[in-house]
Amino acid sequence: MVQNRNKLIDLFIGNITNAIVHEILEHAVRKELVADKYRKELITSFEIAKRYRDKINPRYRYLPDKDVVYLREKIVSRVKTELMVRISKGYKNIDLKLIEPLTDKVLSELKIKM
Amino acid sequence: MDQIYIPKNRAGFSIGNYVVIKPLESGKPKKPIENLYFYGIKNLEPLKLEIVHEVLRVIDESVSNYENIFITGSFLDEGFHFDDIDIIVLVDDIINQEQARRDIERKTGIKGHILVLSNKEFYKGLETDPLYQMILSRCVAKKRFIYKKKQIIDYKILDLHLLKSKILIDNFDMLSGKEKYDLVRNTIAIYLYLAKKKTTVESVDKEIKKSLGANVQEIKDNVLDKKAFLMRYKLVYDKSFDKIIKGIEHGSKQK
Repeated sequence: MVQNRNKLIDLFIGNITNAIVHEILEHAVRKELVADKYRKELITSFEIAKRYRDKINPRYRYLPDKDVVYLREKIVSRVKTELMVRISKGYKNIDLKLIEPLTDKVLSELKIKM
Repeated sequence: MDQIYIPKNRAGFSIGNYVVIKPLESGKPKKPIENLYFYGIKNLEPLKLEIVHEVLRVIDESVSNYENIFITGSFLDEGFHFDDIDIIVLVDDIINQEQARRDIERKTGIKGHILVLSNKEFYKGLETDPLYQMILSRCVAKKRFIYKKKQIIDYKILDLHLLKSKILIDNFDMLSGKEKYDLVRNTIAIYLYLAKKKTTVESVDKEIKKSLGANVQEIKDNVLDKKAFLMRYKLVYDKSFDKIIKGIEHGSKQK
């Protein structure tokens, strides 16, 4: 299936957003969460994001600054929106300060930025 | 009175003799041999039973002080369509999983997928996690165990579990049939759990058919009608998410 770059980038953003939201929520319930070994087997958003990354050019180099800025802004904003839905309903212990460092970490790991 | 026909020259029977006709194998579950305990299993092929015994012997030799050993997963399905054998070892010590896995493969020719859980993880999982309940609803256990646990709904934990299955919505074309089935099963187990219904392998598969209009084999074979399936899946996902969010809201107001 031929997918255009914008569509791939959009899907990539969606999966990275999901992965970061998951990590922040996991952090929030760490004390109660003692038994999630079964779900370690499930395919994760991060793994899917990697599949999309492999289809986005340039594949083996970092993305141009313009793309990096766009991706970072979109991811940060989407993660914040997802988490705010929960915070507005009284969810405690969600650390919004984790969003930006986690976004940078993931973008580096996937060779989007240095 | 029914009649049976046998060859004319068969010795031992005369015309008009009364005989008893009974099936070679009854449909009833076979009695477990030795000291194994079967949960939610109607029948297990003799060959598989031998494999189970071999696996248990390997674990027995390499792990001391274990609380229990469970065989779960697709290995227990009828037929021989499994890729590996899922083994849960309940033990508080650290064990050499890699060695046990290699021994199982060497002795049975089947890949062993070993999951080691502490007692705390196991019982907490059974209390709060529909997937644990589902997986252990059909298993072979080395020792008898009490399956009935009180059901605790922790909405924040369920939120985290449900989030894992969100990827199915946007990445449908990217996923294999097996990946899709695992994600669907996770969602449906949570959906049933939130409705305080039983989460067993059968009840989850039945609910997949009822709510998503697809049978398990179609999902595994990756031959779903994308549009129709996703429309139903989103509905179930959103319903579950709404319940979870309301549960979180309600919980925070009570504190």
